[in-house]
Amino acid sequence: MMETIMELQDVWKIYRMGEVEVPALKGISVEIKKGDFVAIIGASGSGKSTMMNLIGCLDIPSRGRIYLKSQDISTLSESDLASFRGKTIGFIFQQYNLIQSMSAFENVMLPLEFLEYNDKDAANRAREILTLVGLSDKMHYRPTQLSGGQQQRVSIARSLASNPEIILADEPTGALDSVTGREVLDMLHRLWEEQGKTIIMVTHDLNLAKYAHTTIELKDGQIMRISENNEVNKK
Amino acid sequence: MKLNKCFKHAFNMVLHSKLRSWLTITGIVIGVAAVIAIVSIGDGMQQTLNAQLNALGGDIVTISPGFERGGGMFFMRGGGGGGGGSSAPQATTKAIVLGRSDLQALKGLPDIALIDTNIRGSVNISYLGKTGKVSVTGVDQKVWSQITTIAIKDGRMLDSADQNVIVIEGGLASSYFSQPIGINKMVTINGGSFRVVGILDDSGTAVYMPIQMAYQVIPDKTVDIYDTLVVKIKDQNQLDEVITKIQNKLMTARHVTQNKMDFSVTSRKEMQQARAATMSSMSNFLLAIAAVSLIVGSIGIANTMFTSVLEKTKEIGIMKAIGARNPDILLIFLFNAGFIGLVGGIIGIILGTMLSGFMPALMGGGLPMTRGGTIVTLNSIIMALSVSVIVGILAGLIPAYQASKLKPVDALRYE
Ligand SMILES: Nc1ncnc2c1ncn2[C@@H]1O[C@H](COP(=O)(O)OP(=O)(O)OP(=O)(O)O)[C@@H](O)[C@H]1O
Ligand SMILES: [Mg+2]
Repeated sequence: MMETIMELQDVWKIYRMGEVEVPALKGISVEIKKGDFVAIIGASGSGKSTMMNLIGCLDIPSRGRIYLKSQDISTLSESDLASFRGKTIGFIFQQYNLIQSMSAFENVMLPLEFLEYNDKDAANRAREILTLVGLSDKMHYRPTQLSGGQQQRVSIARSLASNPEIILADEPTGALDSVTGREVLDMLHRLWEEQGKTIIMVTHDLNLAKYAHTTIELKDGQIMRISENNEVNKK
Repeated sequence: MKLNKCFKHAFNMVLHSKLRSWLTITGIVIGVAAVIAIVSIGDGMQQTLNAQLNALGGDIVTISPGFERGGGMFFMRGGGGGGGGSSAPQATTKAIVLGRSDLQALKGLPDIALIDTNIRGSVNISYLGKTGKVSVTGVDQKVWSQITTIAIKDGRMLDSADQNVIVIEGGLASSYFSQPIGINKMVTINGGSFRVVGILDDSGTAVYMPIQMAYQVIPDKTVDIYDTLVVKIKDQNQLDEVITKIQNKLMTARHVTQNKMDFSVTSRKEMQQARAATMSSMSNFLLAIAAVSLIVGSIGIANTMFTSVLEKTKEIGIMKAIGARNPDILLIFLFNAGFIGLVGGIIGIILGTMLSGFMPALMGGGLPMTRGGTIVTLNSIIMALSVSVIVGILAGLIPAYQASKLKPVDALRYE
């Protein structure tokens, strides 16, 4: 089949709260194929966000190995990991997480600045993507001057800026009404379909999970089931 | 991230918390302004002292009878300034004096250009029926005019043929008596009549007359015993060496050893240096106080940076998630702190320079050395600027390091 873009091997995450140890993930092993659309579902507290943070290289596992594009991420230095992450993964957060003091345009520019693009390329790229998400007329608005849906579109644009192979979205529609939420999801779907991005999305909404090709169901920090929905296919 | 981008983001951070940034900057401004103003006084004093040293004869050496006691040299005031009437110090057993033999000994030194012999005392003076008490210095009229550092304002200096004539200081001429004393006026000194031939360009009240006349006018003086010998040396740059030679020569002539030296040799340079030392220790003390306010200002920067890191924790998490490396975050916060230091430094220098203009007035003229004004040198500006930037960066170092070390997950969860 398709090549593996990300692999988790017996990954554990144990949070230590004083004397108490809270195991949030207990031996997760999973392979994610390049170009797949994956939904991670599960009840609240089942470990979805924890898994997402590990997949996104924002956190390190207590035990086990994570490979991103065949690279064992535990062997990378913090700085190398940051650059690798910036190039390979785009994040979309439930609360958008835009920088409030910057305009939509500056927010989209930011990841490109960290990757040391030259100013002209970065500006062109930012304009191009903001147009793609339908915000060409609001580029210089601050987040506070935009609606929730618009803010989430800015954050999608930001996640796409460096043209990463993987888009990680943790409850991307969690703060939006169902109509706007659907719009955002359509957008993710198009990215998957048209640009061949690997999309990994956390949601607790089973209706939204139907958009995904692969569904990983978590329960108490363990994988319950991995199912493939073959009705969802690239046209 | 490129450096210019780090700087841009740091600059934006300053702009987006204007009030806090300005308050922090104010702390640095006060510190730097204080340092600049105080250093300017010090530099001003230094320049005044140097100017005085050159103008007042760095080539003049004064020899007085005196003795060392407990490490401190007792010496009489040098001639030329026209001070109050002090008498020669008396040793318990035998009077220690300067006499002809000392003069002869000095004349044998090739490094000496001129020697003036002085005696000094307090006398009664009367003019147009009014009387007063002033100091009289008897001088060797053949050399005095070439040794004195006070210029003549009116009339002439003493001449070798002069007998019953005097030269008086400006203050005595203009305002001591109700009527000003003019050239060729007659004054009575201790009963003797003297004609004024010259008025000096200063504000003192002393009288100068030929030493032979002074022996007659000043009570309790013995002919050929001098209160001070004032020597002009040939080469100012040889001052220290010549002083040593004079000491050696006189020790031989007076049959005393180094430990029992019963005379003192002083130069203007030494006196100025002593004053300079006092002044510099005083300005160092003030500088220390100013430095404290700079330290307080830098603590302000550190405090602001800690608050700022706390406030921006979530943004730091976001930046890390989208590819910020630790050094990027570190530099953004360091530049922020350095920028606050820089702006504070620049405003502080401007304020300090303005302040330094008022400084002598503020100190009420109580400091004679501030008469020369204050100087803000390029040196102190460069110093202040680099110190304030370095202080800013140092103060920002720990907060910035903390920010850069934040784990992305933890930072993102922070609300
Ligand atoms: N920083 C932390 N410290 C301690 N325990 C934590 C921490 N983060 C998560 N946990 C625990 O780990 C478990 C999994 O949490 P996680 O946030 O991954 O759940 P989730 O599936 O994302 O839930 P939700 O749907 O509510 O977002 C929970 O029991 C939670 O209490
Ligand atoms: Mg969650």
